Amino acid sequence: MLTQVARGDHHAFELVYGELSGPVYGVVRQVLRDPAQSEEVAQEVLLEIWRTACRFDPARGSGAAWALTIAHRRAVDRIRTENASSRREQKAAPDLTDEQDVAEEVTTSLEYQRVRRCLDGLTELQRESIKLAYYKGYSYPEVATLLGVALGTVKTRIRDGMIRMRDCMGVTW
Amino acid sequence: MKNLRDDLHVLTGSYVLDAVSPDEREEFERHLQTCPACDAEVRGLRETAARLAMARAVAPPARMEREVLAATYQTRQLPPLSGDPLSVARERRRVQAAGVFAPRKSSWSRRVLAPGQASWTRRLAVAAAAASVAAAAVLGIAQVSTQHQLDTTRASGAAIARVVTAADAQVESAPSKAGGSVTVVTSAQLRESVVSATGMAALPAGRVYQVWVMAPDGAPFSARSVGLLQDTQLLAAAVHRGDRIGITVEPAGGTRQPTTTPVAVIPT
Ligand SMILES: [Zn+2]
Repeated sequence: MLTQVARGDHHAFELVYGELSGPVYGVVRQVLRDPAQSEEVAQEVLLEIWRTACRFDPARGSGAAWALTIAHRRAVDRIRTENASSRREQKAAPDLTDEQDVAEEVTTSLEYQRVRRCLDGLTELQRESIKLAYYKGYSYPEVATLLGVALGTVKTRIRDGMIRMRDCMGVTW
Repeated sequence: MKNLRDDLHVLTGSYVLDAVSPDEREEFERHLQTCPACDAEVRGLRETAARLAMARAVAPPARMEREVLAATYQTRQLPPLSGDPLSVARERRRVQAAGVFAPRKSSWSRRVLAPGQASWTRRLAVAAAAASVAAAAVLGIAQVSTQHQLDTTRASGAAIARVVTAADAQVESAPSKAGGSVTVVTSAQLRESVVSATGMAALPAGRVYQVWVMAPDGAPFSARSVGLLQDTQLLAAAVHRGDRIGITVEPAGGTRQPTTTPVAVIPT
């Protein structure tokens, strides 16, 4: 589908929009929190998908992974440039349980339940490292500070945790 | 120093979660070029991260779809890296298009819509019209000279954009007897229509195309003038259900009532 989008096919893009706008908007909003800002960034991301569709290489992964990589990176770039300084100043204990700000429409989805089950199978340090990094947009040095562990430990836990997630969810690539 | 390579290998997880600094990202991407093990691992972990994103999917506000789809008609795509000749030719044509933002001819000319046609077709047509409006606004701005005119052009550009991106926008298109075709985008809620024409024959000096709103039952002679059709789109206000848009050839400057048979009549 993205290959057709790359050829300027607006109808194909509309189908891609139908598939990806929810995950794109959802992950951006997860990181940024602010709905208006999330909408703006999600729009930029979806247009970026249109604009750069010819850079997508189906041999290297799924279209969703390609698009959501762009989305997450955009959101993280935005949050780092905007509140990096203020966030670094307050190294107070983070809110490690973010479940309360997940919308109900999210928690009832099959994918949410599946991911949650796999996250539950991780060690607490793996789980919290991954959630702080991916869902809150912290860098691994920030995660290390927040959790009070060494840099090297965080890097290892994130990698081990992600590998376990991959195997738990049966991801093959 | 002996740990440097190990340090990089262990970065796969942090890299796919975007938890690395821009410098580290760059360094790691260089490493990926030469380390098949990390490259393979990154692919799997990137798919895994995508699942973390999908688990948080939330439907965006409905207006976003219209805005994004309309914007695609104004956003040039990157050319493909390697040569699919069709895309290359298309890209070249697009670059040559005067207004840059102008939609491709193909999306213009196939736009004769039947009522009740699939909604995506309608939305694409609306988006194409929006892009064409944007191009017209650019051309219009290029043509005006004073600041006052500039402000006026911009204001009507915004009003036009509001109509073509309205949720209830309907597109009607019909061939004109003067060649080319006329397209009318109407928002019943806003009670406004945007009129645009392409490919109509040039008129002799002293003649103009004039646009009218005509009552449903109407003889063309109970018409209200919208304005003269020049290079840009026209906005017709206070359009009521069943009104039609007509175009006639009139003396320069226009007339109070149509004096000739319309070259095109389009339902709203
Ligand atoms: Zn490596």
